[in-house]
This record gives sequence, C-alpha cells and structure tokens, in this order.
Amino acid sequence: MIQLKNIARYYKRGLQKSWVLRDISIHIQPGEFVTIMGPSGAGKTTLLNIIGMLDQPNAGEYMFMDEPVHRFNERRRNELHKHHIGFVFQAYHLIDDLTVYENIETPLLYRGIKGKERKSMVADVLDRFNIVAKKDLFPDQLSGGQQQLVGIARAIVGKPQLLLADEPTGNLHSKQGKEIMDLFKELNDDGITIIQVTHSEENAHYGKRKIELLDGFVRKNELIKKEVG
Amino acid sequence: MIEHAIKLALRNFMRHKNSFFINLSGLSTGLACTLLIFLWVRDELRVDKIFENDDRLFQVMEHQDYSDGILTTNSTPGPLGMSLEEEIPEIELAATYLYPASYNLQVGEEKLRAVGTYAGKNYFKIFDYPLMTGSAVDILAGANNIAISETLAGSLFGSVEEAMGQSIEYEGSDIYSVSGVFKDLPSNSTQQFDFLLPYEPFYQENIEWMSNWESNFPNTAIRLKKGAQAAVVNGKIKDFIKGKAENSRVSLFLQSYSGRYLYGRYQNGKQVGGRIEYVWLFSLIALFILLIACINFMNLSTARASRRAKEVGVKKTIGAGKKALVIQFLSESIILSFLSLLIAVGLAGLALPQFNLITAKEIELHFDPGMIGVLVAISLITGIIAGSYPAFYLSSFRPISVLKGTLRSSMGELWVRRGLVVFQFALSFILIVAVVIVYKQIQFIQDQGPGYDKEQLVYFNRDGRLEEQSTAFFTKAKTMDGVQNISSIGHNLVGQQNNTRGVEWDGKDPEMTLLFENVRINYDLLETIGVEFKEGRSFSRSFGRDSSAVIFNEKAVEIMGMKDPIGQRVRIHGEEKEIIGVVKDFHFQSFRQEINPLFFQLSPENSWFMMASLEKGKEKKGLENLKSLYEEFNPGFAFDFEFLDEQYARQYAAEQRVASLSRYFAGFAILISCLGLFGLSVFTAERRKKEIGIRKVLGASVTQILSLLTKEFAQIVLWSILIGFPIAYVLSKNWLDRFVYRIDLAIWFFVLTAVLMILIAVVTVSSQAFQAARVDPKKYLRSE
Ligand SMILES: Nc1ncnc2c1ncn2[C@@H]1O[C@H](COP(=O)(O)OP(=O)(O)OP(=O)(O)O)[C@@H](O)[C@H]1O
Ligand SMILES: [Mg+2]
Repeated sequence: MIQLKNIARYYKRGLQKSWVLRDISIHIQPGEFVTIMGPSGAGKTTLLNIIGMLDQPNAGEYMFMDEPVHRFNERRRNELHKHHIGFVFQAYHLIDDLTVYENIETPLLYRGIKGKERKSMVADVLDRFNIVAKKDLFPDQLSGGQQQLVGIARAIVGKPQLLLADEPTGNLHSKQGKEIMDLFKELNDDGITIIQVTHSEENAHYGKRKIELLDGFVRKNELIKKEVG
Repeated sequence: MIEHAIKLALRNFMRHKNSFFINLSGLSTGLACTLLIFLWVRDELRVDKIFENDDRLFQVMEHQDYSDGILTTNSTPGPLGMSLEEEIPEIELAATYLYPASYNLQVGEEKLRAVGTYAGKNYFKIFDYPLMTGSAVDILAGANNIAISETLAGSLFGSVEEAMGQSIEYEGSDIYSVSGVFKDLPSNSTQQFDFLLPYEPFYQENIEWMSNWESNFPNTAIRLKKGAQAAVVNGKIKDFIKGKAENSRVSLFLQSYSGRYLYGRYQNGKQVGGRIEYVWLFSLIALFILLIACINFMNLSTARASRRAKEVGVKKTIGAGKKALVIQFLSESIILSFLSLLIAVGLAGLALPQFNLITAKEIELHFDPGMIGVLVAISLITGIIAGSYPAFYLSSFRPISVLKGTLRSSMGELWVRRGLVVFQFALSFILIVAVVIVYKQIQFIQDQGPGYDKEQLVYFNRDGRLEEQSTAFFTKAKTMDGVQNISSIGHNLVGQQNNTRGVEWDGKDPEMTLLFENVRINYDLLETIGVEFKEGRSFSRSFGRDSSAVIFNEKAVEIMGMKDPIGQRVRIHGEEKEIIGVVKDFHFQSFRQEINPLFFQLSPENSWFMMASLEKGKEKKGLENLKSLYEEFNPGFAFDFEFLDEQYARQYAAEQRVASLSRYFAGFAILISCLGLFGLSVFTAERRKKEIGIRKVLGASVTQILSLLTKEFAQIVLWSILIGFPIAYVLSKNWLDRFVYRIDLAIWFFVLTAVLMILIAVVTVSSQAFQAARVDPKKYLRSE
C-alpha cells in the first residue's frame, strides 16, 4: 500500500540545512498496524505528515496504492488524501464551533456525499462508538477521552483505507488510552491499515510491527512478538 | 455544501457577536448610504428623459463671441424657431418659449397667482406632456387659448371637465379661454409651469423688438426628423443668424434637450461639465463608503484569523480543499452583506424623507425588478470584495504549521491590515477636508455679500395700478413703519438678465466687443439697495437732465480705460450719455464668475420690480404694511414678494445641497471607519491581555499601558493624514478654482481636520485600551 524510497526532509536554518529525515525506506502492506517510535525530535510527526500528504519530502519517492504521490500537484494529493486517509491527533483538533454530529459529518461534506447517505454513515459511527447521546454537544462539553473518540469517529466515518494517528493517547489517562487502543485493534481487524506514533511500549504492542526512528534513519524495523497470556 | 456553509456562517455570527455587530452596522450603514446615492444618481440621470422622442429633441444654443471670451446661452432671437422650421429640412418641429414667471389670473371673483409663460404652437408636440383634455395639435393654436395644469384647473374651476372653454382674465386685462388641461408636470422635468399662452400672437404684438435677430430673449427647442444627423444640422445652423444679421457674433449649435441638465456648463465656448460632476462625485463617495465598510470586514476577519486558523487546519487535514474553504468564507461575507442589505433598505426608507428635503427631490423606494437586480448585485459585490481577502488569506494556511501552533501573524499580514486602515482613514480625512472647505466657501459667499445690503431687500412686481400710480405708492410706502426706502428697478440684481454691447466711448477699439449689463432704475434705487459710490453722485430729481446720465461700475470704467470718468460722455445705443457716477463693484452674478461691466440708466417706465428696503428688526411689520398698501392699490391681487437674499442664495442651491449632502456622507464614512477601528482595538486589547498582565507585574502603570495601546493606532492615523493631505489639497484647490471669488486654502483647515481625526481615533480606541490597562494581571496569567 505504501512504499517509501529514500525519503529525506530538512528544514533550512539560515544557510544551514537541518536534517529531520535523512534516508527513510519503508514498505507497508494493506491491513498492517504499524507503530512508529523514537525519541522526541526524531522526526516521527514529520514522517507521518509526509505519509498523510500534509507535507512533502525534499527527496525520495512515495508510492501510495501504486500511485507516485511525489509527482502529484496539491490538488491531486488532496483528492487522494481525502478519499483514503483519516487522521487522529494528540490534541484531538475538533472544530470548536461544530457539534459532535457536525464534526463527524464534515469530511463527508468535503467528499460530496449526499444528504441521506451522509446521515446514515454518521449514524453508524455514532452508534458504533456509543456516542449517540452526545451528538448535539460541542467539543468543550466533552471529556478528553470522549473528544478523542469523536476524533477517531471523524477519521474513520468516510471508511478510509489508511488511519494515521499521532500520539492519539498522549493526552489521556491510561484507562481512556486503553479503550482507544482497543478500538484501533478492532478497526484494524476490520481491515483498516493503521500507522500510529506513540511513546508507549504498551501501546506499541497493539500493533503488528514497530519502526524505530533515530536521527533521521530507521534504526529498527521489527515484527512484534505476541507474548502469550 | 452551500447549506452547510450558511449554517456555519450563522453559527459563527452568533459565537462572535462583537465583530458580527460591528460588521453588520458598518455594512448596513454603508449600503444605506450607497442605496440613497444610487437613488439620487438614478433620479439625476432621468431628469428630462421623459419624452417619447428624447433622442430627437434638442435645445438650440448660442455661442456669443466677445473680446473677453465666448458666452454660451440658451437665449435666442424671437423669430429663430419659426425660421429654422421653415428653412432647415432636417428640423421637423420647432417651438419657442419664454422663461416662466408668476402672473395674476382671475376667474369671476377667484384671483390667484400662477407660474406661466408663452410657448409656441408646437410646444406640446415636441414636449409630449400628457394632456387630460385638448389635443397637442391645437391646444396653443388660437390667439386666445390658454393651456392649464390639472391643479390650476381644480383651483379655478373645481375640476378638469369644467375647465374646458372657460375664460380666464390674465394680468387684469386680456381674456383667454381654456383650450386644454395638462397633467401636473413631473418633478423630474426642468420646465415647470401651471399655464401656457400662445407665443405667436405675443410675437406679433411685440414684433418690433421680438423680430430683431440681434436680441436674444426666448428659448428655442426643436425636434429633428427621424434619421436626421445632429452633426449635419449643426453644420447647417452654425452661421444661421449671421445670415440674418450681418453684424451678428452668434453661432448656433444643438444640445440634446435632456442632456443639458447634466452637461450645462460652458466655458469660453467649450462644454465643461455641469451637474454630471456631482453625479460622479457622489458615485465616488458611495464607492468609498462601501469600500470603507468592506475594509472593516476584511480587517476584523483577518485579525480573528488566528482563532480560525485551527478550524482551517483541521478541515484541511480531513479533506477540505482550498475551494471548499474559500466558498465557506465567501458565503459568510455574502450572507452578512445580504443581512446588511435588509437593514440598509429599512434605514434608507427611514432616511428618505429627510434626504428628499435636502436634495429637493421626490424620490421613492420602489422595488421593481431593475432595482432589486441592482440591490442584489451591490450586495453580492460587496460581499465578495469584503470576503475575498479573508477567504484567500485564511484558506491558504498550511495545516501542519497551524496544528503545530507555529503560525504567527506575518509582517506582511500586519502591513496589509495597517495599510487598509490607513486607506480608510486617508479617505475619511479627504472627506472631512472637503466638507470643511465646501462649507467655508459657501459661508464666505453668503457672508461676503454682493456688495450691497441684500438682507433687508424685498422686491415684487409692479403690477396693476402700481405702474401708473407709482409716485403715490412710493410716497405712502416711505412713511410706513418698518419700510426704510423704496424704489423700482428693471432687474432683480441676481444673474445676467439684460445685456448689451451697444456701448461706445472715445478711444474704443472698433474691433472690441464687450457685454455690459444694462440695469434700468428709478430715482432712489441706489440709495434703497445701498450700493457704495466710488465717485460722483446718484440720479437725483434736482438735476433735470438725469435721463441722459449714466452710472457705471468700477469694472466698466477699468475696461473702458477712463482716467477721469465723471463728466465724460459715452454713447449707449447711439444716444449720448454723461457719466455722473461710478459705483464700487458688487456681485450681480454668481461668485463663480468675475464681476462684469455694468451701467445704471434712469428709466422709471422700464423698472418693473418694486424694490423696498425694510428696517432691521422690523421686517415683519414692514412687509405687512407693504402688503396692505399693495392691496389698497390692487384690490384682489395677491401680494407676491421675494427676499433678494433668498433669490441670491438660490444661485448656490446646487452647492448648498452638495455641501449638506456631503456633510452627511462624510459623517457616515467616519462613523464606519471608527467602527472598524473600534473593532480592531477590541481585538488588540483582547490579544494583548496576557502581555499587559506581564507588564503590570513588572511594574507598568495604567498610563504607560494606555499609551502603549493607543500609540499603534495614533501612528496609523498619522500616516493616513500624511497620505490624505496632498490628495485633499489638490481636490479642494480644483473645486475652489471654479470660483473667481473664493477663500484661501489655509493650512489650518488641514491641521484642524487632522487634529479632529486624531481626537476621534483616540476616543474610539481609548475605551478599549483603558479597560485592557486595568486588567487584573493574576487573572490573565493564570488562564493559560
Ligand atoms: N517547521 C519547522 N521548521 C524547522 N524545524 C522543524 C520544523 N518542524 C519540525 N522541525 C524540527 O524537526 C525535528 C523533528 O520534528 P518532529 O515533530 O517530526 O519530531 P517528533 O519525532 O514528532 O517529536 P515528538 O516526539 O516530540 O513529537 C525537530 O527537531 C523539530 O525541531
Ligand atoms: Mg511529534
């Protein structure tokens, strides 16, 4: 599904280039659940943004579902992104002025999905995440865990093939975090490819593969051994 | 999508009420001003465009060529219309008509004054004012016909039906019979009268002087044949009068009849605009006001951008394209602009009566499809202009930087915002300067006075028995309480009325042609109006030979080049006259023109206005006494008088109106700018609360913080004054240059305006700054 080849990304600081990603080559198959780890500043968010097409590498090739993203213009990238990718953020990033229902509905609007279908799709996820009762509340009336639940609902309502999550549980206590991770597992079992960034070894174990970044290189790329018990 | 956008927009308004109300009130005031100006402009453009054959109707105009320049006038020789119709094949119809004036009409015991004039038999064929009875073909054909208006028919006979064929006594002598009734003339017709008498019989009666090709008196209008080219006809009639009178210096040309209202000013034979300039001026003001209101919207929206940036970022990560976002922000501004339109229509409706009073118009708000189309177009354009900058600005945010929180207002953005406010205030500055200068100039004209004492002067027609018994009238009137002096004159001293080039003097260059204003007066007139003498004396009964005496103004003496004018002789129309006095120059024309040469002749017979000066403080008493005396001499006649200063002020009616209108609009422009400034200050104070908290913890005083907050705005206003100054200077100089007699462009107008603007801005901003300066630092430092 995703093939990254020699991806590099730097920021200019004056005349100097400060390298964030130097040479990243990764393959991710459909249905995988990949965890990206690494110390702070290692470039995890940068990599995730590149995969999510919010950012462009300075060098390297990026094939998404066999299409050469690095050759696309902004409009085509936007098309790909809005049809296939869902995003979940550490800070939830719900739209303050919209209700829970409207927040979840928004990506469908941008995809031009007609009223009736839209309604049933939103109703489905509300139901599935058990937040029907909250649908008319505004984000500031929800707890953090509930907000993240809405964030995930919004990310998956359009049935994306790929879900990107940047420290989704970073702002939650462990119990709420565990619920979110269980939900991810469930989604992955349904066939959605997930890439998450986390600092927590425990969370990493929900995934099938772990990629560790250090100084802009892939330091480790290993399957997670499931401990029995 | 659109539905969603509308929902979002409405919610956004509700959540941010402050900026919503600032924007709404700014835009609706702006739109209301624009709407009023639009109605006014449309009305101006429609004046006289009321006739079926508008494109074939022309006024015959004259260029009169004199040594000191070309005079353009619509006065023409009496026989011109008839001859043109006969001799120029392209001219289908011609009608001659005179200036309307007020006359006495009588039916049985019913007496009243009405405005009327003489008009040629083709008049109603050319000007197809709707007739209620009678036909355009013969309504003015009979020598004793009179055509009257619906209202006049009502007041004289009770109804239109009763009026036909009835007799009316005109000026106490001639009897006319009603041959037709026309509908009351629409207010957008420049010709206004209650009755018309046939011109041709009048012409025959006065054939001696009316048939003179060298005197210019009535107006001539023509209708061209279908397909005839005005340019071709212009070529044919150019020297028409020279063909009739060899010495004539007149060339003729056609001006579109309906066009002459807007394009009425000529300078030395060239068309140099006219009212059309005011049409442009106000259209420009409307545009400016709207722009100022749009800028408020842009500024407040971008100032709030940081709050909305997150929304933009999130939406982009969940798939919103740039287009979707632009649509969302644009719909927000367009919805706002339509909401404002609704309020604006209400405001304009409320303001319309007052507006009509100021503009002397009868504008109504009608919602015909054309009007609705224009309204919708204006709001749409306003919405798009107001929304475009914020829309493109906000939607171009890059999501990752927004979500990371690394977005900062760039210098560029700050400059755009400041630039817009500078632009707003520069416009306001220009408008205030313009208003101050127009006001000062008009006041100058009125205070300056013409050079005689116009305040206490009234004049009225010497009608009925006043003419034969004028001496008795004068003698009685002079003894009356409140009446200081009284005499008669053949000129009302306002505007050019009777001029001649028939003045000859020794040493005159035979090639020189000069127009002299010819004022015929009675004894005591100069004393009555209080003109000052430079030398010599006034006409006096104690000198038997004063009928061959003449008094010039300074200007005339200067042009004639006389060193010692008193006692010298000149010939006027071949008659020898002795100069007995020279009066100081006074204004008998508008201040736009230079004072022209003028002379007074003693000619009691031709002095058909009575002119009386009333005692200061007793004007009312004096008038009452004159009225009863008048009615004693002319029982049943209505006493119809006019104050000279009102007549005088009327010359500047257009300027007066423009002055008071621009005062209002400038006021609104400033109000809207201040609303914007206020909005920005609310925002700045809000944004800087934390900074202020820190500064206070570090020991800053309230005054220090106040100056910190107001300084930024004061700077903006200073910049706008710097930019506005040269523009305002050039514009006002241009306007003042039209007046030969004008105020100096003193620097203090600009300084005063600048100080005023800074004051307004500081007051606007300081309330917010003051609030912010008084924040409790603990509260805002904790809320992080
Ligand atoms: N816009 C930018 N300009 C300059 N440097 C940047 C920019 N964005 C990120 N960086 C740098 O790139 C490096 C990697 O950033 P990134 O956000 O990808 O790290 P991360 O691995 O996600 O860290 P964390 O675990 O703290 O979230 C950091 O050193 C950061 O300073
Ligand atoms: Mg990160």
